This record gives sequence, C-alpha cells and structure tokens, in this order.
Amino acid sequence: MNAFFRKLRWLVRRPARDADLREELRFHLEEEAEELRADGLTEAEAQWAARREIGNLAVVQEDTRAAWGWARPEQLARDVGYGLRQIRRDPSFSAIAIATLALGIGGIAAIFSAFDTVLIRPLPYTDADRLVMIWLDMSKKDITSKHAATPAEWIEWRRLNDVFTDLASSQPADATLSGDGEPEQVPARKVTWTFWSVLGVQPVRGRVFTEDEDNKGVRVVVISHGLWQRRFGGSPGIVGRTISINDERHEVIGVMPPGFYFLPSRDVDIWMPASFPAWMRTNFTWHDAQIVARFKPGVTLDRAQQSMGALSLQVTAADFRGPHSVILNPLRDEIAGRTQTALILLLAASAAVLLIACVNLANLLLSRSAARGREVAVRTALGASRGRLIAQLLTESLVLAAFGTLGGLAIASPVMRFLERLVPEAMSSPHLSLDWRVLGFSAAVGIVTALLFGLAPALRESRVSPQEALRDGGRGTTGPRSHWFRHSLTIVETALAVVLLTCGGLLLQTFQHLRSTDLGFESERLLTFETPLFRYQDFDRRVAFVNAEVEKVRGIPGVIDVASINLIPFTNVANATFYRLEGQPEDGLPTQVALVRNVSRDYFATVGAQLVAGRVFDTSDRRSSAPVAIVNEPFAKRHFAGRTAVGRRFQFGELGKEGYWYTVVGVVKPIRESGVLEEPKPAVYRVYEQCDQIGGLDAGIVVRTAIDPSSIVPAVRQAIWSLDKTQPIARIRTMEEIIDRQLSTPSQSTTLLGAFALLALLLASLGIYGVLSHAVAERTNEIGVRMAMGATSAAILRAFGKQGLTMTVIGLAIGLILASMVVPSMAALLYGFRPDYVPTAALVSIVLLAVAAAACFIPARRASRVDPVVALRSE
Amino acid sequence: MRNDAPARVELLQGTLDLLILRTLLTGPAHGHAIAKHIQRTSEELLQVETGSLYPALHRLEAKGWIDAKWERSSKGKRARFYALTPLGRRQLANERSKWETLSRAIALILNPLEKEAQ
Repeated sequence: MNAFFRKLRWLVRRPARDADLREELRFHLEEEAEELRADGLTEAEAQWAARREIGNLAVVQEDTRAAWGWARPEQLARDVGYGLRQIRRDPSFSAIAIATLALGIGGIAAIFSAFDTVLIRPLPYTDADRLVMIWLDMSKKDITSKHAATPAEWIEWRRLNDVFTDLASSQPADATLSGDGEPEQVPARKVTWTFWSVLGVQPVRGRVFTEDEDNKGVRVVVISHGLWQRRFGGSPGIVGRTISINDERHEVIGVMPPGFYFLPSRDVDIWMPASFPAWMRTNFTWHDAQIVARFKPGVTLDRAQQSMGALSLQVTAADFRGPHSVILNPLRDEIAGRTQTALILLLAASAAVLLIACVNLANLLLSRSAARGREVAVRTALGASRGRLIAQLLTESLVLAAFGTLGGLAIASPVMRFLERLVPEAMSSPHLSLDWRVLGFSAAVGIVTALLFGLAPALRESRVSPQEALRDGGRGTTGPRSHWFRHSLTIVETALAVVLLTCGGLLLQTFQHLRSTDLGFESERLLTFETPLFRYQDFDRRVAFVNAEVEKVRGIPGVIDVASINLIPFTNVANATFYRLEGQPEDGLPTQVALVRNVSRDYFATVGAQLVAGRVFDTSDRRSSAPVAIVNEPFAKRHFAGRTAVGRRFQFGELGKEGYWYTVVGVVKPIRESGVLEEPKPAVYRVYEQCDQIGGLDAGIVVRTAIDPSSIVPAVRQAIWSLDKTQPIARIRTMEEIIDRQLSTPSQSTTLLGAFALLALLLASLGIYGVLSHAVAERTNEIGVRMAMGATSAAILRAFGKQGLTMTVIGLAIGLILASMVVPSMAALLYGFRPDYVPTAALVSIVLLAVAAAACFIPARRASRVDPVVALRSE
Repeated sequence: MRNDAPARVELLQGTLDLLILRTLLTGPAHGHAIAKHIQRTSEELLQVETGSLYPALHRLEAKGWIDAKWERSSKGKRARFYALTPLGRRQLANERSKWETLSRAIALILNPLEKEAQ
C-alpha cells in the first residue's frame, strides 16, 4: 500500500522526477569521465569513453522510468496519441478503414442484439429450460404433424404421466371489454389453474385462481400489466374490481408483471379459468389445447418423449381415428421457431462480412507497411524492441477499431429497428436496444477485430531490418512470401463473399417463390376486421346483424364490395370438422376432416377467388332452401379426382343422421386459409343463412376498396356503431399487412442477408483492387524494364489481369464448395421450397467475375500505361 | 521488454538488488559510487551496467527499501544519495540468508567430493 502511494506521488510529480533523473545520470557521466581522466585519458577521450560505458542514455532513462511503475499506462497513452495522429495523417485511408469496420461491426452488433433477445436471454419463467410444449403427432391422419391436444388428453396425461411435475393447458378465448370506455376486444386465453405453477410465475398484484375456482367456473380473471395500465390507468384498486367481459361480470383477482407473456402471442391481456365443461372432459376430438409441462428433476427430453409417446398411444388406443403419439418441443424452440435459424444464419453472415472487412484492412495495412518501413527502421535503430513495436502497431489498430466500433454502434440502431420485426410474435417486447450486453459484445468484437486485421501487418512491419531499410535507395520491398500471404487473404475474402452471395441468392429465390405463391385471392386493397358476435346467440338475429353490417359498410364511398366470413384467411390456425360423404359407411364417425368457413353470398366475388367448376353462391341459397356448399380443389381431388365434385353430398359427422346434407354446387381454387406459408388443405364453404346447425360466433368482414383501404377505417367504425354503439370492432388490418407480418421472417432475413452479401461483394472486389493496385505501384520499375525490352501494353495488361482473375477464380471455386456445405443448414428458411442451386451459383459466378474483372482492369490498365522512360528515371 | 538477453537480466535482477543493499549497509552512496564499489570489491569480476543499475535503484526506492536524497558529494557536486531504510535492512537480512542457502545448495551439488571427504 505504502509503495503504491509512493508511486502515485511520483506520478503527480512526474516532470520534477524526470529532471532529477536526467541530473542523476549526468552526474554519473561526469563521475565516470573524471575517473577516466584520472586514468590518463584526454578530456575528449574521457567524455567519449564515459558515454560508451553508459550505453544508450535514452534506453537507460526509459528503463528507469519503467521502475516507477507507470511505464505501461504511459506507453499506452503515447501509442494511442500516435494512433490518432496516424489517422489524421492519412485521412482517406482512415475513412475507408473506419467506414469498413463500422459497417462490419454495426451489422454484427445489431444481429447480436436480436440474437441475444430471442435466443440467449432467460425467458420470464422459473427454470424455463425445464419447460416443454406437447403437440399431437397426427401426421399419419392427414391433418398436421403438430396438432393441438384436447382437454381430455390433458386430464389423462396429468393423471398417468411419470415425467412431469405438472402440465397446464391453454385454450383460445375471446374477451370483449365493455362498460369502461369504448368496447374493445382483447386477446385472451382460458388456462387451467396449473398454468401458473407450471410456468413458475407470480402476479405483481393480487393472486391467481385456485383449483377450486377453476373447477367451479368462478368468473375471475388475471390481467396483463399492459391492460392494467392502458385501460385502467394503472389504478391501484384494480384487484377486486368487477369488469364486464363478453357482457358478463368478472372479478379481477391479479395483475401479471410487465415482462410476462406466453404462447401464442405477446399481446394476450386476459387469462381466465379453463373450467372445462363436462362434455369436453371426455372428448378426444376437441383439439384446441396448447399443453405446456415441466420436467421432473432429472428427466431428459429423450426420456420424456419416449414415456409420453407411449402414454399417448395408450390414452388414444380406443380413438376411432386410431392412436397417435406426441411431439415434445422445448419451450425456447417453440417460441423462437424459424427465427432461430434465421438469426444463426444472419449472425454467421455478419461475422463473415466483418471477417472480410478485417482481411481487407489487413491487406491495406500490409500495403502501407512498405511505405512505413523507414519509420519502423528508425524506431528500431533508436532502441525500440520488437515487442514494443508490435504493441505500438497494435495500439494503432485498436484506435482504428475503436472508431469503427463507435461508427458501428451508430449504424446498429437503425438496423435494430428493422430487425425488431424478426422477433417472434410470441416474445414479450419486440424492442431491441443498445443495452450493456450489446455494448460489451461490440467492444469485445472491436478488440478481436483489431487483433485480426492488425496482427499480421504488425508482425511483418516489426521484422524490418534497420540496415536494409535505411540504406539509401532501399525500398523496403515485400518478398514473394508476403505476396503469397496477401493473395491468400484475397482468396479467403472472395470465397466468403461467394458463400454469402449464394445463400442470399437462394433466400431471395425462396422469398420470391413465397411472395408469388398463389394465395387463391387478390390481396390488394382489401380491408379486414372482426366484429365479435357474442351478443347474438340467437341464430336469426346474428344473421340479420351480419347482413346489416355488410350493407352499412357497402354504403361507404370508395367501397367496391363487402362480404363476411367467420374466420378471416391467415388469422386463425385451424377449425376443422369431421364430415361424411354420401355413400361412406354410416356407423361410427368418419375420420376425415375439412376446414369449414361460413361466408356471405358475395364472399368469393369480393376476395376475387377463382371458380373452377359449378357456380358461386347466389340469392337462391337461402335458409329455407336445400343447403349447398362450395369446396376447394384439395377437397375435390381428395374424393373425386378426375370426376366432378359438383352435385355430390356430404354431412357433418358430429351431427349424425340429424345433420343436413350439403350439396356441392361449386369448386374454387384453394385459398390458403391457415397461413401464407401453409399448404392449402381441404375446405368447405357454406352460406351464413344455412349454418344454423354448426356455426361459430366470429364475424370477419372483408372490404374491397377502390382507394387506400386504411383510409376508410373511421367510416367503417361509424357505420358499425350506427347499428350498435357498443359493438366492438377488432383487428382492423389490411390483407397486405397480414401477409407482410406472416412473411416477416423470410422478408427480413432475405433483405438483411442480401445486404450482407452485397457488402461482402463490394469489400471483396475492393480487396482484389487494392492488392493489384499495390502490386502495380510496387512493380512500376519492373514494368518499365519489361516495356523497354519490348513487352507490349497488351501483354502487361494480360499479365496483371491474369493475376487478379486467378485469385478470383480460386476464391470462387472454394466459395462454391463451402456454399454447398452451408446450404443444407438453412433448410428451415426455405419453407419446403427447393430453390435451384445451379442457376444461383452460376449467377453468383458471373456477377463476381464481372465485378472482379472491373476491379482487376483498373490497376492492370494503369500498369499497361506505364511510360518506361518515366518509370526508369524514377530509379 | 528490452533488447537485453532476458536470461541475464533475470539472473542479475535479484542478485543486483542484494549487492546494492549490501553496499549501502556501510552508509549512503550515489549511483556511480555503488557501481564502483561493487566492481572493486568483486575484484572487477562483476561489471554493473548503468542500464541495469538505475532501474534497480529506482525500483528499490519504489519498494521503500532505500531512500534517496540530494546531497553534496565529496567533490562538492550535487548527487543523489541512496540510504538503506529499516525495511531495506530487514530485506537485506532476508535476501542474504536466501542467497546463502541457495549458494550452499549449489555448492553441495557442484562439489560432492568435499561432502564425501568430510
């Protein structure tokens, strides 16, 4: 401690101590000289001998100062100052270097922030890595591979399993709030009382509901922090308050913390008790329960998968559709979904771009090192050790990297805004910010970057031999070894660029394919919204209200056509129903299902669906007349391939013999009801009026407009509220918005990867250009000699062009091989589409060769125009 | 860090400190005098390089083993005189016994015959 304070005092009294040291050494010199004089040397000889004896005075001073304990910090400060001077001295080089680094670091920092948010940060549940989602494996039953389970299965699994501490079920629900301000429909879930303990979460206020409340169907709800703030102004008296949900009184018993969310969406605002009705408890066909479960200590995913697979087969052994197994998916994978692959790919791509930037800078610095040879030689001659030189050169790189990192952080922010759309809808907040984790990561990346691009030049420069470099006319030229090294650097960056371009090309091809997918209708200028119909339990009143809505909206200026459908395309997952065709066995339930949609008569005309056979609905299809249906092509192909479906009859299985027989009157091209990215499934459309036997309470409205669809939203509200002032209107969106949101993962990842690929191409061609330019500058003399000996301009042009293109072609070949190895890992981002590798690779090759040729041509042409007289005179 | 062959510096470092401390046991002295004293006492076998001497002196000062003061030399010039501190005195005793143990150990290995002869 004492010693430390002494050193600190010395630091403060630094100038005085320096003077002391100089005087002390001068005294030493004088003493030495005096002694030598006493030995009989002349004054001059004695001075000389004393100087020789003491050696390099500057080094002695420096070493002694080092003993004061501040040598390293002081050196660092000096090197940093020197680095700053270097930046000012060569502004164009510095600008290029800093800009390159800023692009590279900005990209990786932004991607990291998304990567961190989605894949690294803990989920807001206790021990979230012990949580798993359970889906039914119904792939053999022509439905989906990952199907929602039934409440009945939840009950059986809970009773019989031996791998989970507990399981919870969560079902979709609709909640329309009224009574406190504007009527509003908010996303809600019906969850079992085990939900809270399985996730290990606590409310910030109040409590969650109990087993007893769940079983008895007590009307209590837990609300989100967001809803509490938004609708109830954060009122402290919220717990215990009674609110109106779907016109029924519910007591608010708890408020969840701000960061809480759970599948399927971050914007769920209300959780109410599941309170399964008795019939649901034994019905193994009511598939709407998402099941989440927590592993018992020591249970692994594999073991749970085996155990639950066997249990599920046992539980569903008697199912008329045959038994099915289950699929366990860790919660994190479930939430991250495809974004996981996208983020890993993007992180790798941004790292590759940064690597290319480093390679480029290393090459630039190596080019400069020839010019700096003299300076380094002088330093060596003055007593700088190699380690000291390397430290100094690396510090210069660090200073550059520091500026690059700052620039990168500036670039990262807008990129992060763009990336926010990539955060899965299930996660809490999509907001990405430059928090300390991202800052720390960027700083670390900056340091690694400086080492990557600074080390090779520093090692090389510090090897300069002072004698050779300082000899008059010495050029500090680079040997063949360094050419080899720099050429391989160029090849590496070219190869990386090729990999990125190829991946980007494949993603682009996939995205175009997704974008151009035939959705089955025209999505432009189509406004959609929902008007929940819980107040219209009576069938006739419901139909009347929907018809009134449609007519009111039709009257709005700018509206071409209006229709209703119970579930708007892409916004709902399934809702499939069993059906039986005429002629199929009548005992037992049929096993096939079809999506069922209830529409108004004008629906197909409004959305622009294409009729393949028969007719669309018309005014003759009324409640009293014989029920009719329109099916889609997959439905027709499933049963009537090669024959006409029109005129066939079917009925809905659950209703048995009581059910109506629907006659197929038309076939339409499939509309992708379940999602833009989902293959169309067999579907049946009915007219609202003829849905009195089975029919939901949802009412979606689609409006075809002649003008910008979002501009009529206020008029739509007025129109609906003129019918009923308290009618909630939910999810007002244009169809394009819905599609964009569904395509956000492919579109964001394609755009970003494309940007990275282009950046890589630019940097790689700059790299080729830089290396060749340098070679030309270095070999001007040699070119002069060759031309004086009779070489033509064309021959010189060819020689340099060949050198550059050879590097390009080698890089291209390596890159294409690497790309073919990388592509399989991005399968999840290709959405089952198989983009053609060959044309992409060919296109990438052509683009790269063209760009590289241009990058080679400029320096090669400069070489071919060397005037031998000028070149040789400069010798 | 320096150009010196590292092996020599490392070997000398501890030893030079010991020699400086021992020299100062007889009374305060300036750098040049310390160097000369070591040279003469070792019958010119040990050559103290200025490049090692002053860093060593300042290092010992930083550790608080010696103190420095500007005083007049015998010839009336201003010189920086170093003197042992009580801490330095203890350190010298310490270093000395360590050195003696070490040199006895090395001697035992280098001259096994003497041991047998005893």
